[in-house]
Amino acid sequence: MGRRGWLVLGITVALALLAPQVLGTFWISLVIQVLVFGLLALSVDLLLGHTGIFPLGHAAFFALAAYTTAILQVRYAQPTLLAAPAGLGAAVILALVYGLAVRTSGVYFILVTMAMGHIVWGAAVTWASFTNGDNGIGNVPFPALGSLAIRNLSSYYYLVLAVVLACALAYRKLTRSPFGLTLRGIRESGSRMHALGYNVGAHRYAAFVLSGSLAGLAGVLYIYFNRFVSPPTASLHVSVEAALMVIVGGTGTVIGPFIGSAIILVLRNYVSAYLVNWMTIMGVVFIATVLWAPDGVLGLMRRLRAQLRMSPARSESPMVVAGEGKDTP
Amino acid sequence: MTDQNAVDVAELTKTFGGIHAVEKVSLKVPIGQRRALLGPNGAGKTTLFNCITGSMRPSAGRIFLFGKDVTEMPEHHRTAMGIGRTYQITNVFLKLSVIENVLLAVQGTTRQKWIPYRSVESFPESLARATEELERVGLANRASVSVRYLSYGERRQLELALALASRPRVLLLDEPASGLSPAERQRIAGIIAQLPRHITLILIEHDMSVALGLADQIAVLHRGRVILEGTPDEIRANPEVREVYLGKV
Repeated sequence: MGRRGWLVLGITVALALLAPQVLGTFWISLVIQVLVFGLLALSVDLLLGHTGIFPLGHAAFFALAAYTTAILQVRYAQPTLLAAPAGLGAAVILALVYGLAVRTSGVYFILVTMAMGHIVWGAAVTWASFTNGDNGIGNVPFPALGSLAIRNLSSYYYLVLAVVLACALAYRKLTRSPFGLTLRGIRESGSRMHALGYNVGAHRYAAFVLSGSLAGLAGVLYIYFNRFVSPPTASLHVSVEAALMVIVGGTGTVIGPFIGSAIILVLRNYVSAYLVNWMTIMGVVFIATVLWAPDGVLGLMRRLRAQLRMSPARSESPMVVAGEGKDTP
Repeated sequence: MTDQNAVDVAELTKTFGGIHAVEKVSLKVPIGQRRALLGPNGAGKTTLFNCITGSMRPSAGRIFLFGKDVTEMPEHHRTAMGIGRTYQITNVFLKLSVIENVLLAVQGTTRQKWIPYRSVESFPESLARATEELERVGLANRASVSVRYLSYGERRQLELALALASRPRVLLLDEPASGLSPAERQRIAGIIAQLPRHITLILIEHDMSVALGLADQIAVLHRGRVILEGTPDEIRANPEVREVYLGKV
């Protein structure tokens, strides 16, 4: 990251730290949701943007983690120290199993992950004795570590901010590592990667497990915020929305999924106040993105900036210099 | 007993549906030899390559690398044993930079490819090796450019650099000069000619002057079978080859 990058990050973090002092409950809730669903979208992007496979079942990890934590906290009165790691652990185990999906690719991968997501949703609906069915599980308390407890939404906001920031930085490190480069190589040409000595399946599996685990972490953060979980959290709708966030924001970057998350959640909150069928608007947003900004908002901004920089006099050569050709942020 | 053959293909057959793309081909390439495969389109040359490297499973027959039976071995393990290849249709990583392309080839046979917590730049040895390979093919000044912006000729050079960067002991080149201008052909041929002699080369090439100039030994394939083997001079003189390969005059 250049000097400017750190400056932007510094300002953003400073603003983020001040946010609860300035913003009311509604906005703080919205920012928390942007962060949590941004993290879910980020986990999707590890597969979609970096590895080149399109998962449509990430609500499964998200919801399983949320359910596990909620049930342990509420029904079995377990402390956060146990409930939160258990939620994450459940998602990791599910990801280890669902990772088998990487044996397929293309549209088959989409369909298989979609079906896998449906299994979790189905269990949430029908296994009512355990999951409470459509009534869901509510009254999840704020997290607490012994006497160290979160007592209000703005404190919880700081916790979410810290976790998401740590995840984003670690994610950035990962995508710039040899492992991250390997994933992008697989995205560009699996056959060549095989020929260069890579066990492509093993790398895709590792990426899938990491991605599912990250989605699980987002689910744990979600349940302590939302304090309630029911089958819609596990639905295809959530998986689609997460993918949509990535596409709208821009794939293959760290910040893109969060931008997408902000756009979609703000839209949903505003539009749903005026229009019952706000899904229609989401459809329009999606179509507009695919037509005019296939690289998402970030790609659009990059393109506009390049056009501004390139005066007509020297617009002839599309030479790209270091960095710009890369798909990392 | 050490086997003196780098590649030993025994009675190899590959069928697609009812079509015999490769039919009972046997081929022994001694270590260090430069072997060219000639033959018209559809003779089964690329299919033979795919079976040797492991991207395709043969329908029948065995394949040995340095005396070891690798018929059932997955492709990436064969790469680790020292096999490298290029593709007839350029197969590089389009949205990555040139240096990233070569880095992928460099780290492919090492444990480094699994490391998630250090940046790519923190491996100076890999970077140095990648740069070395780019210098060899004459692309060092394009290192940070995205491959999308390379010319076709440059992509062919990169194609070769990728294969060389994994330090193969056996290198299979599938029409390395295809689609290039005469000047570019000479450049690619020059790079290949200068490769160290301990690398065993198997080369598919339609350009007779390139193929005959580089190879020690030549095998001619036609309709999935080896119809002739010999030195470049013998091949040049053979009337059957002229008919099959160059067409009836």
